[in-house]
Amino acid sequence: MEALVPGLTAIGKGLAYGLAAIGPGVGIGIVGGKALEAMARQPEMAGRIQTTMFIAIAFTEALALLGFVLTFLL
Amino acid sequence: MNPMDELPQKIEHLVHELSVLPFNDMNGTVEGPLTLTNYTTWGIIALVTTVLIFTFVARRESRRMKLAAESGSTAELAPSSRFVSMIESGVEFIRDMAVDVIGPKEGPKYTALLGTFFFMILISNFYGLIPGGKTFAGSIGGTVALALLSWLIFVWVGFSKNGFFGYFKSLIPSGVREMPLAGRLVLGAYIFLLEFISTFLVRPLTLAVRLFANMYAGHIILGVFGAFTALFWPFFEKGLSWSIGGIGVGAVSMAFLIIMYAFEVFVAFIQAYVFTILTAVYIQSSVHASEH
Repeated sequence: MEALVPGLTAIGKGLAYGLAAIGPGVGIGIVGGKALEAMARQPEMAGRIQTTMFIAIAFTEALALLGFVLTFLL
Repeated sequence: MNPMDELPQKIEHLVHELSVLPFNDMNGTVEGPLTLTNYTTWGIIALVTTVLIFTFVARRESRRMKLAAESGSTAELAPSSRFVSMIESGVEFIRDMAVDVIGPKEGPKYTALLGTFFFMILISNFYGLIPGGKTFAGSIGGTVALALLSWLIFVWVGFSKNGFFGYFKSLIPSGVREMPLAGRLVLGAYIFLLEFISTFLVRPLTLAVRLFANMYAGHIILGVFGAFTALFWPFFEKGLSWSIGGIGVGAVSMAFLIIMYAFEVFVAFIQAYVFTILTAVYIQSSVHASEH
């Protein structure tokens, strides 16, 4: 059993980050796509849309980063 | 010898080099909270650079403003050099952001604070991209310090603008506060718990972790591609042999290294921007807490 621990830890680390990245990946894609759509519709609002987009991306990204840090803590 | 056999050792060396160490001793350990580590040394250098740049520009420009007021010539009001112009547009960028996010009345007050965060993190990140340099944001301790500062400020603003109980009350949306008593108690308590955790715990935590993880991950990626290049193009490595395939792999990793380096310059800017704008958003939510 003891011999399995390093390997299983490595698998766990990989899974932790990999699974944590799925949701935010989809989320950032949606945020970026929608922001692009909005900027194409109303180019004069591009500046404010960009600001809001970065905030939204930052919130979405936080989930992936928690997984990333968990990978190092494991 | 097969270059891939050397890779785990290289990665270990890379992670060791990115960990917190005494600034003058690569193999030492950090003892006590006041040790000068590699990260704090580079943080102090970045801070001193920021302060020097801004005092220099501000003094020079205020002297020229005074000259312009005395002589009446408007030519003295223009930025005196490209560097000054760059700094001025940077400050303007921060002020516009503060006005945009916090509001035209309260915004300009926070320009100095947000500008300090932005330029400190930006300059520190650029130092980190110089080979041999370190970014202050590359250690969790550094980013926790920055995030705690930001947290203290927006919580303090929230309490001083809304009063002690007013700030806690503003965590519950006004719609819930107008509900019948049972709904107010149950839903209000639930939302209060969620909002309390999100405002007082999750906000500083994510601020710190986001900055740290982005910078750390970026440097690991650069280091891995650098290690690949060094292993497959062994100019400086003893005991490794050249091979045709190895030259190809080395060329690809070198190309990736350059691309990722350019991307890291972009990330250095984006992360400084995100930290600043999130601080601005949190301050805004504290300033206008009673309105929603």
